Amino acid sequence: MSAPAEAALDALRKALGDGVTACTLDGATLRLQVAPGSLHQAALHLRDADGLRFDYPADLLAWDTGERFVVVYRLWSTTLSHTAILRVELERDGAAIASVTDLWPGMNWHEREVYDLYGIEIVGHPDADDPTRMRILLPKDWEGFPFRKDYVPVFSGDPLHGPQETN
Amino acid sequence: MTAMQPAVGASTSSDMTINLGPQHPSTHGVLRLMVALDGEYVKSCRPVIGYLHRGLERMMASRPYRQSVPFTDRLDYCASLNSNLAISQAIERIGGMAVPERAQCLRVMLCEMNRIASHLIFFGTYAADIGATTAFLYAFRERERLLDLLEAYTGARLTYNWIRPGGVASDMPEGYAAAVCTFLDGFLKELDAYDTLLTGNPIFRVRTEGVGIISPEKAIAYGASGPVLRGSGVNIDLRRTEPYDAYPQMQFDVPVRTEGDCLARYLVRVEEMRQSARIIRQCLREMPEGEHWGKQPKVFRPAAGEAYSRTESPRGELSIYLVSDGTANPVRVRVRGPSFVHLSMLPELVRGVKVADMIAILGSLDTVLGEVDR
Repeated sequence: MSAPAEAALDALRKALGDGVTACTLDGATLRLQVAPGSLHQAALHLRDADGLRFDYPADLLAWDTGERFVVVYRLWSTTLSHTAILRVELERDGAAIASVTDLWPGMNWHEREVYDLYGIEIVGHPDADDPTRMRILLPKDWEGFPFRKDYVPVFSGDPLHGPQETN
Repeated sequence: MTAMQPAVGASTSSDMTINLGPQHPSTHGVLRLMVALDGEYVKSCRPVIGYLHRGLERMMASRPYRQSVPFTDRLDYCASLNSNLAISQAIERIGGMAVPERAQCLRVMLCEMNRIASHLIFFGTYAADIGATTAFLYAFRERERLLDLLEAYTGARLTYNWIRPGGVASDMPEGYAAAVCTFLDGFLKELDAYDTLLTGNPIFRVRTEGVGIISPEKAIAYGASGPVLRGSGVNIDLRRTEPYDAYPQMQFDVPVRTEGDCLARYLVRVEEMRQSARIIRQCLREMPEGEHWGKQPKVFRPAAGEAYSRTESPRGELSIYLVSDGTANPVRVRVRGPSFVHLSMLPELVRGVKVADMIAILGSLDTVLGEVDR
């Protein structure tokens, strides 16, 4: 990465202090881990700082390690052609993270999916005040979060109706 | 727009909420649109998805890496080979597998054949969405010939399971190159005819020109990719910007249109079919000798870590992100499909347009629900 990128990263480290827990450069890929509370500020900096300009929301995914949740934002710069892997680790109890839909509208549905499958609360998401509107792949009255390691599907006993239908 | 258009967000007594789908011909699968209308105008639209959700990502994460390839056939079922390629590349990256040159070239050839088949579906169904049924029949005739060719090689018409980690399942049958060349000669002539059938049609142009304009800034902020991004004047094609397999050796143009409307996205796809034909010809001409299959470890246990692939499917950026904890099964298989992202743009694109234009806009995004719902 270029000198402006290095300078922008130094500025980010200075601004966030302990909020940045890891930061490595690997070719054209920046790997950055931040504390959950610093996510939005870090994302804003990555999008707008000269030399970084991560304007393209390429992907957002989460996974469950069994002990905690990991959320990864894969960002890309259409002008500078470099990638950022922005990583946040969350405790399982009451997992919540700030929405970045205000920075990249393309993150809207990805964030809904993270809530839908893992139950990670997305604070500040346009649909956050109504959990049934946050559901995206699953029916709005679904109970539980099926991509969690400890998820146990509840079957109705009737294969024609699938899980969770009662009659 | 005329003075009839209602102010966005204003609610009047003439509002009507209608449901489009989940079973509706224009939604290309099981997609439901909840649309609030004021007369002919769309005030708001909320897509409801998930009708085809099979939990493919979780299924892939609960078995050894290499068994996930057939699941990817069920993502974008119009271009399964491209999904095969995305998962294979991700697995090769996480496990450090090499792919022989011949296999790379075969993969590019197969993916481009699949791209033409997929764009032909778009061409036909988009014309049908607009109301021109004839083009649909022509496009499917040509696609049928192409599927016959793919079947002759892979044994399947849609769910190929052919591109696998380390290479492709087997080499081309004898005389295959000649058969593909014969097809391409005929296809390019037919494509010119289709072009005159639809592209110049005044009704088609009125329905698509200036409709559903996406600015380059908006396309980027939404993470749009493929023909949707290039139809908005952004010259990004992952086959060029982050080339993989045999693409660095290939000579082809990346069609870009600056208008950003439905017609621009349509024209980009039509031109891409010609470029795909060019790439297939180069593959056949310059196919290196050698193996179609690299060395494979018997037990595949990649070291703990993460890897991802970025590929240019017919619809845009198809990426697969793998997370390994050092065991035989992945912790997470994440599929980032272009259709999911493009569909999320729909509410903003259709606000304030007429109902018929909404169908034109939805069709121009060329979404496949198998990939949206996973």
